[in-house]
Amino acid sequence: MKLSITAKVRLWILAVFLVAITAGTYVYPVIFNTPAGWFNKVTGQHIGIKPTDFRLGLDLQGGTHLVYQADVSKIAAGERSSAIDGVRDVIERRVNAFGVSEPLIQTSGSGDNYRVVVELAGVKDVDQAIKMIGETPLLEFKTEGVAQPLTAQEKKDLAKYNTDAKKKAQAILKTVLNSPLDQFATIAKEKSEDPGSAANGGDLGFVARGVFVPEVDQTIFDDLKPGEISRQLVESSYGWHIIYKVAEREQDGQKQVQASHILIRKKVESDIRPVDAWQTTALGGKQLQRAQVVFDPNVGTPTVSLQFDNEGSKLFEELTTANVGKTIGIFLDNQPISTPTVNEPISGGQAVISGNFSLPEAKLLAQRLNAGALPVPITLISQQTVGASLGADSLNRSLFAGMIGLLAVSLFMLLYYRLPGLIAVIALIIYSCLVLTIFKFFHITLTLAGIAGFILSIGMAVDANVLIFERMMEELRRGRDLLSATNEGFHRAWPSIRDSNVCTLITCSILFWFSTSLVKGFALTLTIGVIVSMFTAVTISRNLLRGMLTPRMDKWYFLFHRPKPVATDKPQA
Amino acid sequence: MKLRIIQHRRWWYLISGVLFAIGVAALLIWGLRWGLDFTGGSSLEVDFVNANRPDVEIVRQLIVDDFKLNDVTVQTSGDKSIIMRFETITDETRQQILTKIGELVSDPNAPDSAVPTVNQLHFESIGPAVGQELRQKSIWAIALALIGIVSYIAWAFRKVSRPVESWKYGTVAVIALAHDVVITCGMFAIAGHLFGMEVNTPFIAAVLTILGYSVHDTIVVFDRTRENLHRYHGDFEETVNQSVNETFARSINTTVATLLAIVAVLIFGGETIRPFALALTMGIFFGAYSSIFIASPLLVSWQKWGKK
Repeated sequence: MKLSITAKVRLWILAVFLVAITAGTYVYPVIFNTPAGWFNKVTGQHIGIKPTDFRLGLDLQGGTHLVYQADVSKIAAGERSSAIDGVRDVIERRVNAFGVSEPLIQTSGSGDNYRVVVELAGVKDVDQAIKMIGETPLLEFKTEGVAQPLTAQEKKDLAKYNTDAKKKAQAILKTVLNSPLDQFATIAKEKSEDPGSAANGGDLGFVARGVFVPEVDQTIFDDLKPGEISRQLVESSYGWHIIYKVAEREQDGQKQVQASHILIRKKVESDIRPVDAWQTTALGGKQLQRAQVVFDPNVGTPTVSLQFDNEGSKLFEELTTANVGKTIGIFLDNQPISTPTVNEPISGGQAVISGNFSLPEAKLLAQRLNAGALPVPITLISQQTVGASLGADSLNRSLFAGMIGLLAVSLFMLLYYRLPGLIAVIALIIYSCLVLTIFKFFHITLTLAGIAGFILSIGMAVDANVLIFERMMEELRRGRDLLSATNEGFHRAWPSIRDSNVCTLITCSILFWFSTSLVKGFALTLTIGVIVSMFTAVTISRNLLRGMLTPRMDKWYFLFHRPKPVATDKPQA
Repeated sequence: MKLRIIQHRRWWYLISGVLFAIGVAALLIWGLRWGLDFTGGSSLEVDFVNANRPDVEIVRQLIVDDFKLNDVTVQTSGDKSIIMRFETITDETRQQILTKIGELVSDPNAPDSAVPTVNQLHFESIGPAVGQELRQKSIWAIALALIGIVSYIAWAFRKVSRPVESWKYGTVAVIALAHDVVITCGMFAIAGHLFGMEVNTPFIAAVLTILGYSVHDTIVVFDRTRENLHRYHGDFEETVNQSVNETFARSINTTVATLLAIVAVLIFGGETIRPFALALTMGIFFGAYSSIFIASPLLVSWQKWGKK
């Protein structure tokens, strides 16, 4: 009966060792691959384990941690979180285009702040990555501006201004007509409001017909003879002209005239209320479904064709219906890239941008448009960048520290607890293999703090063993035999192990909520460590001890670091 | 052999009282030196390849004069690198600063194989709002951890009500916690004042871990008390002392094992992790001390005081 229990326990131990060896090989494939290499050499087989890597945090492999603040002030309160999700998707697409392995892009919000956190591990050119993410290809469709009608008061003011201007012009005309011809230039210099010619005494040089506005052309080509000044004011869209025809000549079979003029400007509606060059519409990159490069079938030049989604198609149809005969401006980052004229309403949501693109330009534009425009502007508010060399240094140091830590703890346990100590060390090694396997298998990101958490958990894993062994020795001192002392030790130590670990787990869960990725890494590794250590301490140490113990050992006091019943306090080696 | 730990409690109270007072005083006078992640600001660490490290004062002048930045400090770090700190900057400014420092060490006569270059090791720029939030979050985290722990202990000890009510175990455990955290923070305030040691996010993680660990130690002793109260029906003081003695070896051994692991990190883990490892080391040490010499004696004092 007793034997069969021992046999069961031994079977269990065998299973645990197999699991541990598998785990160990998974964690550190060299163990298997080196002998496998010899085997392959001899037999010509190809066995071996493909090494997988631990997933290292930014601080260990180098990389950058960026926090962007999104400006959602123009978005309705209810749509903000979907807008920020949009930002995340766009950044994700851009980063993916950049070819970073396993980028981490998350939104995080606190109160009214909407943020996107981007972690790019192992990225070499951080500057370019930042540029790439921050770029906002803002695609907009704009329509021609329309002037607002003037108010009654403004109309009155305008009329008064122009009446006064005309009076002023008439007064100057009078002066000019009463003065000798050679005074014209002097008066023009003083009075003319034409910035182009006033300095030259109003001289406009030789021109052919068609250069000036029709009213002026008629006067200088048809009405006046050389050396004459117009007796009347000539009114054009610019204002009132006093014109002096200086000379005329024949050149290239064309009649050319040299004239001088004095201009008194008049005001028009657009001077008071300038027309906005372009007016923003609701249509933009938000409604874009796909952009692609197509070649113009007639000319063969590359163009970028746009396909809108349902909402965009409807908007585009409305837009083109309302603007037949007018131009629509397609703006990218506030720069007009194409201003096609609408010939007819367009339904179906397809548009073509035909700028003067080269093929690479068109491709880049389509790519950028596909990556999507950011629904809201973002600013970089926080940035942490760790160089790869610093990261590698930290990794080596922390691994070395971990080794030393494990070694020191093992040595201490062996020296103090002897045989149980050895068992604790074996349990500890199995523990390390299991935890590292979990790290690797579930792709848990190891940060510097995370590795510290793991090393700390080694110390804590030992604690469960210490509790059990102390209890066991106590029971031995009370006169129990080895087996029942072992059972009692495990049994009685359990509530302490459970309660104390639960408290550590409570703080770990709070740390996890703490959300900074570095701290999260620590909390996660410590949590995994604590849970696995409860398992290994209670099941593995216990069964190992039970499997090894034989009644004979009861007499081997040295193994358990307890005094022999007779005399000497110090056990001998 | 039995140590009369509980009976000598006045001495422990005196030692802890003095340490606690020093801690509180240091926190009040100097306060903690908050790191970048809490205050906001920038930190740029570079090293130099094929060039001598320029004088820190020259670099400082360059940043102050050319970029008009506030709160500029420049110090050397390790053998080859310097760390510059200043207010929060944009990425363009960072690139300009790197270019300027590159000009500082450039040498037109250098052969192509050994062109002096500046190599950025680490850069951090934290907006002030982010730091502010982190501080609030840290306070919340610590408060929540305390509430969680008290509730759990009160629940775990719910069946123990004589001669001390279960909630008193929780309260005493938290007093011991406060003791550990205040002393550790006080030490950091002193270290911050004397050696410029800064408190950053990992430090908060360390403090929270100390909370978990210290209570872990205390619970083991209380657990034994709980068990012994069922077993012996003698004097409360004697029972508690018995329990402390029975768990004494365990407390010391566990602490030694854990400290061995974390001291390895402290010594070999490198510069970046050192403040974190130091906080853990101190916290674990004081945590072990307080669970033996503070928590259990307090339980007895409270019980006696209640009887009067």
